Amino acid sequence: MAFTPVKDKYRSKVGEVTLGATREQGGTRAYTITVGGEATLPFLHFEGEIPNRPVVALEVWDVAPADWNPCFEPFYGDVYNNPAAWAKKCVEEFGADLVVLRLRGADPDVKDASPEDCAKVVKDVLAAVGCPLVVLGCGKAEKDNQIMPAVAEAAAGENLLLGVAEQENYKSLTAACMVHKHNIIAQSPIDINICKQLNILITEMNLPPNRIVIDPTIAALGYGLEYGYSIMERARNGALGGDSMLAMPMIGNVGYEVWRVKEANASAAEYPGWGEQEARGILWEATTAMALLQAGMDIVVMRHPKAAGLIKQNIDELMVKTSYEG
Amino acid sequence: MGLTGLEIFKQLPKTNTGDCGFPTCLAFAMALAAGKTSLEKCPHVSEEAKEALGAAAAPPIRLVKVGTGDTAVELGDETELFRHDKRFYHPTAIAVLISDTEDVAARVKDFGELEFDRVGLHFVTDMVALKNASGDAAKFKAAAEAVAAGTKRPMVLISEDVAAMEAAATAVAAGKPLLYAATGENYEAMTALAARLGCPLAVKGNGLADLSDLVEKVVKLGHKDLVLDSGSRDTSQVLADLTQIRRLAVKKRYRPFGYPAMAFTSKDDPFAEVVQAGVYLSKYAGLVVMKASKKEELLPLLSWRQNLFTDPQKPIQVEPKAVAVGEVTPDSPVYITTNFSLTYYIVEGEVESSKIPAWIVPVNTDGISVLTAWAAGKLTGEAINKALKKDDMESKVNHKTLVLPGYVAVLSGSTEEATGWKVMVGPREASGIPKFAKANFA
Amino acid sequence: MKTPTVLFFPDNVAVQVEPGTSLLTAASMAGIELKSNCGGGGTCGRCLVRVKDGRIRNISAGKIAAKARQAGLLLACQALVEGNVVVEIPRDSRLDEHVVLLGEKEILAEQDEELSGDYPFHPLCRQVQLTVSEPTLTGNASDLSRLETALRRELDCGKIHISLPLLRSLAEVLRRGDWKVTVTVAQLDGCADIVRLEPGHASQKSLGLAVDIGTTTVVLYLVDLLTGITLGKKGTYNKQARYGDDVISRIIHATERKGGLQDLHQAVINTVNQLISELFAQSQVSGEDVHMVLVAGNTTMTHLFLGLTPKYIRLEPYIPLVSAAPPVRAAELGLSVNPTAFVACFPSVASYVGGDIVSGTLLTNMAKSEKVTLFIDIGTNGEMVLGNRDWLVAAACSAGPAFEGGGITFGMRAMKGAIERVQIDPETFEVTVSTIGNMKPMGICGSGLIDCLAKLHEAGVIDRAGKLQTDIDTPRMRKGDDGFEFVLVFGDLTECGKDIVLTGSDIKNLLRAKGAIYAGIRCLLRAVQLEQEAIEKVIIAGGFGNFINIRDAVNIGLLPDLPAGKYSFIGNSSVKGARLALLSQEAYREAQNLGNSMTYLELSAGNEFMDEFVSALFLPHTDLSLFPTVAAKK
Repeated sequence: MAFTPVKDKYRSKVGEVTLGATREQGGTRAYTITVGGEATLPFLHFEGEIPNRPVVALEVWDVAPADWNPCFEPFYGDVYNNPAAWAKKCVEEFGADLVVLRLRGADPDVKDASPEDCAKVVKDVLAAVGCPLVVLGCGKAEKDNQIMPAVAEAAAGENLLLGVAEQENYKSLTAACMVHKHNIIAQSPIDINICKQLNILITEMNLPPNRIVIDPTIAALGYGLEYGYSIMERARNGALGGDSMLAMPMIGNVGYEVWRVKEANASAAEYPGWGEQEARGILWEATTAMALLQAGMDIVVMRHPKAAGLIKQNIDELMVKTSYEG
Repeated sequence: MGLTGLEIFKQLPKTNTGDCGFPTCLAFAMALAAGKTSLEKCPHVSEEAKEALGAAAAPPIRLVKVGTGDTAVELGDETELFRHDKRFYHPTAIAVLISDTEDVAARVKDFGELEFDRVGLHFVTDMVALKNASGDAAKFKAAAEAVAAGTKRPMVLISEDVAAMEAAATAVAAGKPLLYAATGENYEAMTALAARLGCPLAVKGNGLADLSDLVEKVVKLGHKDLVLDSGSRDTSQVLADLTQIRRLAVKKRYRPFGYPAMAFTSKDDPFAEVVQAGVYLSKYAGLVVMKASKKEELLPLLSWRQNLFTDPQKPIQVEPKAVAVGEVTPDSPVYITTNFSLTYYIVEGEVESSKIPAWIVPVNTDGISVLTAWAAGKLTGEAINKALKKDDMESKVNHKTLVLPGYVAVLSGSTEEATGWKVMVGPREASGIPKFAKANFA
Repeated sequence: MKTPTVLFFPDNVAVQVEPGTSLLTAASMAGIELKSNCGGGGTCGRCLVRVKDGRIRNISAGKIAAKARQAGLLLACQALVEGNVVVEIPRDSRLDEHVVLLGEKEILAEQDEELSGDYPFHPLCRQVQLTVSEPTLTGNASDLSRLETALRRELDCGKIHISLPLLRSLAEVLRRGDWKVTVTVAQLDGCADIVRLEPGHASQKSLGLAVDIGTTTVVLYLVDLLTGITLGKKGTYNKQARYGDDVISRIIHATERKGGLQDLHQAVINTVNQLISELFAQSQVSGEDVHMVLVAGNTTMTHLFLGLTPKYIRLEPYIPLVSAAPPVRAAELGLSVNPTAFVACFPSVASYVGGDIVSGTLLTNMAKSEKVTLFIDIGTNGEMVLGNRDWLVAAACSAGPAFEGGGITFGMRAMKGAIERVQIDPETFEVTVSTIGNMKPMGICGSGLIDCLAKLHEAGVIDRAGKLQTDIDTPRMRKGDDGFEFVLVFGDLTECGKDIVLTGSDIKNLLRAKGAIYAGIRCLLRAVQLEQEAIEKVIIAGGFGNFINIRDAVNIGLLPDLPAGKYSFIGNSSVKGARLALLSQEAYREAQNLGNSMTYLELSAGNEFMDEFVSALFLPHTDLSLFPTVAAKK
């Protein structure tokens, strides 16, 4: 017997989605970012092209977060109340490829920010950074249906990535993305079928597949990460197998999920058996991101700058080409 | 390649005797195809069929055992490339690297601390990898004895010097350490040593083609308890090599790669090392040797291992524990549902959007939905009573009224009887909750 | 040479084809599907057409009935186009996508069918006229021995049983008939049971009952066992309904209420007895003449019919008390027929695949066919069997009673006044309906619901997820008590004066029902690792309507996307299978055998079914590649 490498032949590849628009393209971004396009499973360069590396985003809120772990204070404490400065710091100091702006303040139970307020924050952040921008609503469908069209309109031409569309509430955001030429995050509840169904529903409204990013919903390490991992793996296998309704790049809200859980936040005094808190939290976040990258995630949304740095380094290493030729 | 149930069925006697414990030959064939039973369970199968089916039934990756007794570690015997296709069986072993130039006893003592309790589970760091950094056989032997004295957990002995290996391995052979490694230069002597001591042997190649040749040579010498190392140390290449080894074994039944594989981290920064080890753990390493040795460094990795090696066939469940949605008060309503995660999260979402804070009590139904659980007798008045008692709901609210899912309105009577609570029949669909809540609790 | 044109009448459709194309292919290109069971092999004799004008070349005459040939017909598959041709297609040759089940459009009225040709006429009861040798001083064997000897000469049987009352009468019966005697013998499992003795050689009646005990309805056929003729049919609702709509509620009642099992047992016995008395009155026969009762029911119904506890059917690991119950006597159950009559139940395969499915499977003959056949019984539960003569796998999925009208606001069974067809104008959203018996609409039956779902989606009233599109401009879309709803028929046109609507939750229920059935089919296919295309024949049974619109059923993703010609619809297969077994001992034996040889697939194990189910909760399906013809229409 002699060793012959197995190179799987795939029927198709993941579609590419480009975020942001430069001045020539009708926006104001310094550069655009393209994600997706993989013709093989994650980082298996020996059998297919991986034209775009996964990107790392950092999360910015429109209001000062009330309950973030104190370990974030040294990084963001000075900019918590200034989303534009916060975003700038993420890009310039912490090397984020792009920024995810979460309009938490729009939540009626937080600040009930008006659509105009939200649009203004988005404009401010766009003015402060040159990277493409992702904007997420507050998570309450009724309110998001008011603010997101306003955001989409205010940032027309910027080719944002807007989220989230869900199966029960996709029409208003899809329409806003159609009219103002943005991209959409299609979020499904850890269910590959609903993920697909939502993509079909959105594309049936004539938003093309290359404007959709899948958020299959992920949980933190230790809290069901394996489910999100398997959904991403299945979606990616489906995409390569020719299923066009799964062939979109994927996004995961890693930082948001991880920093909600005990293992990231509990002090060493509380759990002496678990070791030191900040290091544990950073690795909890990095491990969650690492795993999902192995499953096919294209946009990693993180929170801790050190975890983001680790993951960027990991991606660098994994993007080193491999081959079994010669 | 594996045979389908129907292909196997064709080779069986088709007499439906039930002697194999399955009601029909086809049921047996399907179980066989799924790897859930073995051919010898059928007393009537012909010799030809045995021959035809034997190869299909052999595991694609050999099970290799390192160590002895309760702390022994089993590597390999995997059948899948993706956990969602069936499941992964033998969690990747983690070995912490100690050098024979260090204070071995102290390091081993610290290693002993690398055990964790999380969510009711106990995680352990499996092995000590002892490296002959000194190049001195006597020192290596002494260090191996120190490890053996300090922990019952199995060892990986790392030296390509046969004399040093012989000294150390002979001293601790009773603990069945993994000998690392047979190489192109030393394989004859190293294999003879492993065979003589009855220890598993790692085979280190210089790339996959070299590894393949070397494994065949070692197997020819009669040793089969092998663990494979492609020799690569760069993240991307190791990922590629581990993937090739697994694919060739599982998809092509390529015998030289039908053994568990191992990987070594190369990063010096412990954080980066954890991330690198995570990649290997995710993609097919049976054993990862790493330097990181702090609790906060190993816990995330071991937690991921626990997650990855769970059985994905089990329905997604939430913890059957009462959850307060919103700012609950003692007047807040109490909704009953099951611990099937999809059901639970839909209910939670609707309760949240009703804007009326409430308790949700997910009854433990082994993760099945309301109607199915009712049909299977898992959602009963008694089960609801148990859930209310377990979470001590009586102390959390000042009323004794619960909301039962509309689909199981039939349970009202038995629930009131079993719990002593008053039952309000809620809407059939979760989507009716906001309207229901506004009408009843606003 | 110019490309020839083929013009089809009465459709008035023309297609251009290459010379040498068969008329069958040309018709298909023109969008006209002809019947063809042999796939164009010239052997089934069904693709009959008439060439009115033009040049064709016949490869062969093929297998064509003399009468058809005399009528100027030829086989389209054997006729190759040489030049321009004008072809007429008779109505009978068309593959109609509506497979009509019933002549009369009434509940439970069934079409008579030929006894399945593969089984000989060899009823479970036979009557033989014997002349028993007279005893003498030397030939001094007992009366019974001499009767047995005479019987064995006529019948191929093992042990012979006789009941004590008959034995008591034997001596006088023999002598009264001057050693001529008419004996009625029941033959089950190789034994011969004497069920009746009459002096002399006068022919007696011997009747059998085929019984289908459904969760919702009970149907009886009265069959003359000597001639094979079906004398009467009757159906009604199962009186158990008041204890719950579905088997689970019944099991709970039987196990958790004091006297519950007896309630249910008596309810079903009463239902059967009521049907018996109506049927006897109608056919003017006497219960004394009934010697054999064959019962096909799901596992729970069989248990309740026999008064056995169904408790453990519901609890993991879902084990029935009995799968092949031994035959009992009518007196033991209190059936109003001859008290010594045998009552035998079809064996069940598992807790949720019962004797009704075994009976249906027997009727389909799939266990004797080479063809991979899918048999689906769409009842209160969806049960299905896949396989051929080598192997059979069966499964049940809890589809719910939606296609029988259950759980749907205006759902009803297929009765007069039930909406069975629906048209919706995609511009104006105007709805046209047709009902069974052309009466004022009362509700919607299964066929109508299938139609509705398909047409609502086509017209854009619901999206692929089944969500009502509340922004469409029509007064038919409105907010009702139960969320949004769509009005199919306004009250001024309905029987009850109320608006007939379909609500959002009705649609969800329908999606679940169709999703469960399709998911069950997928799981069966996956279990044996076959693709959908491997299915050569699909046989649908069930009481949801007079017909099933295969196209619509495929469009909504209820049934696999296979050519309509692979489908057939057989109505109530359970009672028909029971009748078949009454009339053929071979069929009866085969049914016993089927109970053992089917491999049951437990869909609740693992999450494969759940996964398939969720992917089927979409119109037609999340995976459009499984529905190529539906996808192509888009």
